[in-house]
Amino acid sequence: MLEFLLEPLREPFFQRALLAVVLSALTCACLGAYVVLRRMAFLSTALTHSILPGVVGAILLGLSPYLGALTAALLTASGIAWLSARRGTSEDSAIGVMLSVMFAAGIALMSAAHAWRDFTGLLFGSVVSVGATDLLIIGLTSGGILFTLRVLHKELELAAFDEEYAELIGARPAWLRAVLLILVALGAVACVRLVGALLTTALFVIPSATGVLLGRTLPQVMGWGIACALFGGISGLYLSYHCTGVPSGAGIVLCCAGPYLVARLRAPRG
Amino acid sequence: MMPRPWWSPLSDACFGLIPRVPYARPDRADCQGIAVVAQGLSAAARPHGPTAFTDASFSIPCGCRTALIGPNGSGKSTLLRVLAGLVPAATGSVQVLGAPPQLGRARVAYLAQRPRLTDPFPLKLRRLVQMGTYAHHGWFEECHHGDEAVDRALHLLQLTELADRPVHTLSGGQLQRALLARATVQGAELLLLDEPYAALDQASRDIVEAFLFAPTANLTIVMATHDPADSQRFDRILELRQGALRTVHACAGHPHRHA
Repeated sequence: MLEFLLEPLREPFFQRALLAVVLSALTCACLGAYVVLRRMAFLSTALTHSILPGVVGAILLGLSPYLGALTAALLTASGIAWLSARRGTSEDSAIGVMLSVMFAAGIALMSAAHAWRDFTGLLFGSVVSVGATDLLIIGLTSGGILFTLRVLHKELELAAFDEEYAELIGARPAWLRAVLLILVALGAVACVRLVGALLTTALFVIPSATGVLLGRTLPQVMGWGIACALFGGISGLYLSYHCTGVPSGAGIVLCCAGPYLVARLRAPRG
Repeated sequence: MMPRPWWSPLSDACFGLIPRVPYARPDRADCQGIAVVAQGLSAAARPHGPTAFTDASFSIPCGCRTALIGPNGSGKSTLLRVLAGLVPAATGSVQVLGAPPQLGRARVAYLAQRPRLTDPFPLKLRRLVQMGTYAHHGWFEECHHGDEAVDRALHLLQLTELADRPVHTLSGGQLQRALLARATVQGAELLLLDEPYAALDQASRDIVEAFLFAPTANLTIVMATHDPADSQRFDRILELRQGALRTVHACAGHPHRHA
């Protein structure tokens, strides 16, 4: 049993993946609390899926995949804001439009490159793919996101709870929403190596949904979210390591779902 | 008093490094005893929508309790939202506490008829009331202050026992009282209330009335209401009908009264 846990730790790639998963868990759980409470789960799905054409395009052009991913995510966020600003298109449908268009563009690019196989890691995540540079980027992004969340904590909480009061006292809820979207885009980009474009949204939603079931204040929600994400992330990595062929993204998401189900069944009603 | 976590000195030190930026410019306007003065005011509830009321001219002195009456759809809510700075005036001019209505003024509080709060949200009532102090803070500032003011406001609106209850377990009336407590903590001089009694049972209503009409409270109130029985308590009654501000009863000779 001990060997089961210790053996992967001797592999440098697994150590890097482990560090990356801890950083991602912290970031995604804190950010995810706002995503879940503000009912932006669908929006975060759109942002994370839209990374695909950005990364594929950047790889085909020989640019940094992170740059491509971030561009695509920001493009999607502004596209949604632009489409839903007109009367007659709800934000919901705007998200649906952007999500499918961007994802279709990604699939078209992948097919054009005749390289489906090379991109499975991108879609579902891969333990072996986290290099030293990736770790640095994940670390910097996570640090930036956590710092922003801490500094704007009271405004983000207020705007998530009572947007009109935030507006009344001049705390600019529209700006705060934009800041949150940018943070989600950054967080999604940081997680894409580990969890994959298709499943990153789960890291925002599942731990925080667990947190909302168990916590009575926002810090408690984040705390439970972090606990769930750490448990799911670490055990998912082990699952992916020991069962060859299971992508790390799938392992992590499945292991996060466990605590959520337990919380859902055990949580008191009301 | 809320217990402070062990890391709070560290967190305070970090926050001390960040410059403080107020949400809005400090409000130094001098109103010279006039809380609201409007000339030929008209406004629409939403941009490019139909005009809710036209050509309203009135003034409200400080300390005056004003009822805003009229049938549904007569523009009461829109008028209150114009005064709060949430809706721009289409024509005419209006001064609120000596300055044009604008967002970010701690001296003005507004309570919507149906507050649009995210529900459920992991927030205790005490924290909700404490949000009233934010108006005096700004960006990048942690707030632990105002514990006494919060306690006083909770006591005033008889919410002390509920202070640790999650907000989404409160009844409509309790929530309405909590929002009034937040306005008190904010230190607002002018309260703009949109049918605050709509969700209240008699007990809650008594508490709110005792708070609003206390002779010692130095508040200016503009309240949209449907209740004709109430009119005795107000100093002044504005009536909106078919989009026009028709009658202004100034009930002089009441015991508590205006400057």
